[in-house]
This record gives sequence, C-alpha cells and structure tokens, in this order.
Amino acid sequence: MAAVPAKTRVFVKQLVQLSLVNGRVSSEQVAGVLEYLEKHPPARPQVVLGYYRDLIAAELAKGEARIEHAGPVAPSAVAAIAAAMTRRYGRPVEAVTLPNPALFAGLRVRVADDVFESSVSGQLAALAASC
Amino acid sequence: MSTVLAQIESQIAKLSSTAVRKNTGFITAVADGVAKVNGLSDVMYNEMVAFPGGVIGIALNLGEDEVGCVVLGDVSQLKQGDEVQTTGKLLSVPVGKGLLGRVVDALGNAVDGKGAIDSTTFYPVEKIAPGIMARKSVNQPLFTGIMAIDSMIPIGRGQRELIIGDRGTGKTTIAIDTIINQANINRVGLASGDPAFRPVYSIYVAIGQKNSNIVRTIAALEAAGALEFTCIVAAPAADNPANQYLAPYSGAAIGEWFMENGMDALIVYDDLSKHAVAYRQISLILKRPSGREAYPGDVFYLHSRLLERAARLDGKGSLTALPIIETLAGDVSAYIPTNVISITDGQIFLETDLFNQGIRPAVSVGLSVSRVGSAAQIKATKQVGGKLKGELAQFRELAAFAQFGSDLDAKTKAQLDRGSRIVELFKQPAFNPISIELQAVTIFALQKGYYDGIDIKTVTKTSASIREFFKTRQDALLTEIRTKAALDKDLEAKIVTALNAWKSSAA
Repeated sequence: MAAVPAKTRVFVKQLVQLSLVNGRVSSEQVAGVLEYLEKHPPARPQVVLGYYRDLIAAELAKGEARIEHAGPVAPSAVAAIAAAMTRRYGRPVEAVTLPNPALFAGLRVRVADDVFESSVSGQLAALAASC
Repeated sequence: MSTVLAQIESQIAKLSSTAVRKNTGFITAVADGVAKVNGLSDVMYNEMVAFPGGVIGIALNLGEDEVGCVVLGDVSQLKQGDEVQTTGKLLSVPVGKGLLGRVVDALGNAVDGKGAIDSTTFYPVEKIAPGIMARKSVNQPLFTGIMAIDSMIPIGRGQRELIIGDRGTGKTTIAIDTIINQANINRVGLASGDPAFRPVYSIYVAIGQKNSNIVRTIAALEAAGALEFTCIVAAPAADNPANQYLAPYSGAAIGEWFMENGMDALIVYDDLSKHAVAYRQISLILKRPSGREAYPGDVFYLHSRLLERAARLDGKGSLTALPIIETLAGDVSAYIPTNVISITDGQIFLETDLFNQGIRPAVSVGLSVSRVGSAAQIKATKQVGGKLKGELAQFRELAAFAQFGSDLDAKTKAQLDRGSRIVELFKQPAFNPISIELQAVTIFALQKGYYDGIDIKTVTKTSASIREFFKTRQDALLTEIRTKAALDKDLEAKIVTALNAWKSSAA
C-alpha cells in the first residue's frame, strides 16, 4: 500500500465514495465503478484496483461484526451483538459467526480494527502477559 | 491452604466476563527495525503497541492508511500479517533510587545481571519540559572537579553545558570525572551529617558506543566508588536505532524523578551526535522528508525537547545536563553542533591541538563559555580565580604574537611566563577530580607566587605536592574552606602559613 502514489490515493478514495450508498458499500455502485475503470483504464490499473479492493474491504469490515465462538451461540445473542455494534458505531452492522475452537469458551467480536475480547484464550493470554 | 485458595480465587476473579476492547492492525512490512502496520485506527502518537511474542513498539508515524512503528526488540520473529494491538499506554521506564548502581537498557530493563530493578514507580519516557513559572534561576554550583572548568567555566545545578570536541579529545573523561566528583562530594557530605547537604545523583546515557567503551566507563566508575550514586542507561552501537533514539529520553525520565522529589541529579548524554544519526536512520526508514545533511526537519526539536527537561525547579530539585557532541575536524559550525550549542547554556570546547600538546583536559578557554557565569561559583573560587580566564586569554594572544618577534619587553615576558604556569597548573590526569577546597588552595598558591621561580615543567608536580600536603596534614583547614566557601583575612593567613610549612617541608 505504501507504493501507491498520492494522486492515485485521492482518485481511488473518490471511487470509494462513489461506491457507497447511505454509508454502506453498494454492489451496484461497485459494479458501476469497475465498469467505468474497464472503459477508461487508468495508468497502472493494477495499483488502482488493488488499492480500491483494500479500501472497499476496509469499508465492508466496518459494517460487519465477525463473531468467533468456541461453542454454540444463540441466534438471539448474535442479534443482540449486531444491535449493540450498530448502536456503538452509529452505522448498520451485520453479524457473521465463525467457529473457532482455539478460543476454548466465550466470544471474540471483530469490527474493522476493533476487537472485543471475552474469550477464555484471550483472557489467559492477557493474564500470562501481566505475570 | 486458605491462602492458596484465595490466590486462585483472585486469579479467577481476574478472568472477568466483560469484553475487553482492543484496537488492532496487521503488519504489512517490516524492515530495519520499523514495522508498517495497516489498521490501528485509534492509535495515539508515541503510544506503545504490542507485537506478537511480547515485542513492543512505538507508533511514530500516523499515516492516512498505515502506521509506522519502531520495534523495540527482536524484529526477526515478526512477519507480514502478524496482528498488532494498541496498549493505550505511553512508553514508561522504572525510576527511583533502585536504579542507582545499575545498568539498564533504553526500556529500563536491567542488563547488568544483578537481577530485577527494585522500583515500583514508572515515569513516561516523553514528557513536556517544566514551564517558566516552575523554574528557578541557576545559582548553585555543580563542581566538576576539573580546575579549568570550575574556575573559568562554572556549571550550576540545573544548567545545560555542552561538551564538544573532536574524537579522542577527552569529552567522556570530563563527564566521568564530573560523575566521580559528585560521588566524592556525596560521600563527604553524607558523612558530615549536614541536613542541608544535597547529594547529586548521576545518570550516564551511552548512545551508540562500543560495548567495550561502556564496560570501561562502568569499570572506571566502579573503581572510583561512583557507581553506587550512578545509573547507566546503555544503548550500544549493536542496539537497534530505536533504542538509541529512546535512551536519552529514558535517562531524562530517570533524572526527572530525582528532580521532582527534591533531589539533585546530573545527566550525561554521550553522545547526541550519534543520537541524531540514529534518529536520522529511523526517519529515513519512515520516509519522512529529509533536510540538511539528510536529517529530518524536526532534528532541532529532537534535542531541544530533551535538553529543556534539565532545569532547577522552584521548591524541588534540579537536573543538570551535560550533553556531548562529537565534531569532525573541529567544525563547530556543522548542523548538529550549532543546534545543540544554541540550545545549551554554554559549551566546553576541547581542542585536538591542545590535547596533542599534552594539555589535558584540552579545554579551549577562548571558545568555551558558561552562560550562567559566576552565579554558579562559590565566593572562594571567585576570589582566587576571578581573573584567570582573562589572564589566560591575554596569554594566548601574546603567545601568538610572540611567535613572530624575538625581542620582548620584560612585562610581556612576565605575562607569558605567568600564562605558561597557569596552563601547567590546569593540567590534570583523567579520573582524578580535585575537590573545590583543594582547587581554591592550588589557585591561591598561584596568586601568592608559590609557583614563581620554579621550572615551568614542574608546576603540575608542585601543585600536586601542595594538594597532597593539604590533604594529609591540613584536613581541618580544608574543612573550614569548604564550610565557609569564602576566604576571609583569617583564612587566607592560615592558608599562607600552611603553604609556608609546605615550602619548608618540600625544600
């Protein structure tokens, strides 16, 4: 990402803005952007598309709560987490569950850069670090 | 048994069910001790970040898409894609008297094999320097034990005095002598039981030096019994540039603890040229724009914010800084030397020519200055050595002219002769600081003509003989000079009597 020139960054960020509808990534808008880029290929299209992909992935991550769990999770709990995250970030956040036996028990919720840790493995790691 | 159960219970209690929020990112690149991290959207400038394996780093570059972190540890185990977490903490080091007699690294970890540091207090490495109102003017002397400095370029507690010179001119020796002298004064002062006595604790920060040199310094301090009053912060040449960049700030934090707790401390930064080079290396890797000599634009701020932390605080203690700068071919007008000269309250300039002529310490009286001046001198030193700097400057001027002509009048010859004697008198071996009362006696003997009429080459030896005589036979008189800190008629008469006794014993 460091090799992306400043002008390209500005251009791609404008493309990302075009890809959002009400603050969320719209698949129709993304398709439109890609079609435009195909018809009007920019200089170094690989760099532009790579950077565009990274930024769109970051935007998608903002609207997704990845819930890692070791045991079963009740659908009501998933819905409650999604609602809590939507309230916290002030944007619609959808919950996605991912089983992860390495957690032993509890949950780990990731929304973009933020990780909410309440798993046993996470707490044991924190305890080990504090000793 | 119940205690054991209680311990387990408390551990279980720590495993709370509440979720802990962490801000994370992923390493995109690692090179030369710097990791580029994608994510970390909440990271603060200078915040500590946690890499896998217990390695920590500092966020130094907060970019639009990525964060540049310097890694303070083994980078070899880090790889692309590793998760990085914010800690919400600024880098801190242990402080307190538990660090005295210890050698620590830039993060405050013991490296001397003497076990863990006995300290529960931590100070942030980066701290805003005390403001104007908190400060007090510098008017208490800090004796270096070097006659040429204490009599002509006095240093006060809370002052920043630069030691500058080419390589191999004795810069570190002056700093070590000063530390040893503080230990000597501390021992005498603490033994006296004087409640008004304020010991000076020392911090020696070694930046980018060879490990062998650091070992030699530690050995010199240990041999002189000064290590018990000293803490050494070592960031040797083999250490990564991030640790070399941080070491002076860690040392300053350790010194600040003494200052803020009503004690006096001395800190030596050996040296800031290498510190600037380490910072340049980090800045270039972080792709910060470079300026003159490829240093980044904030290289002045790098040193100004460090040296501003040395101060004398109103109602508290003081932190005196002796930064060292190495010049190339005596060029004091280079970028870093001029920066540090403008920040400090004076400089002790060491000349290669003087050093090679055997004049050691090779202090150039003409180029050296202390902006605090005689405010940081005791009256006794002012009385005996007040005119020495002028006389020596006059001597240097006359000596330069005398090279061109052979016919000199008697007055000029006398001035040259006296100047040569002063130069000889100020010669002093390394790691042998002289107490202020002995300095007063030595210079008093010069003013009273006790070195006149003897061979110039024997002046140094004669002055050592006078000091030895006073040390062994005139202890009460030396104590009186030290406690009075001024020479009255009665005291002067006693010194003259003692000097006459020395003269007759030496004859």
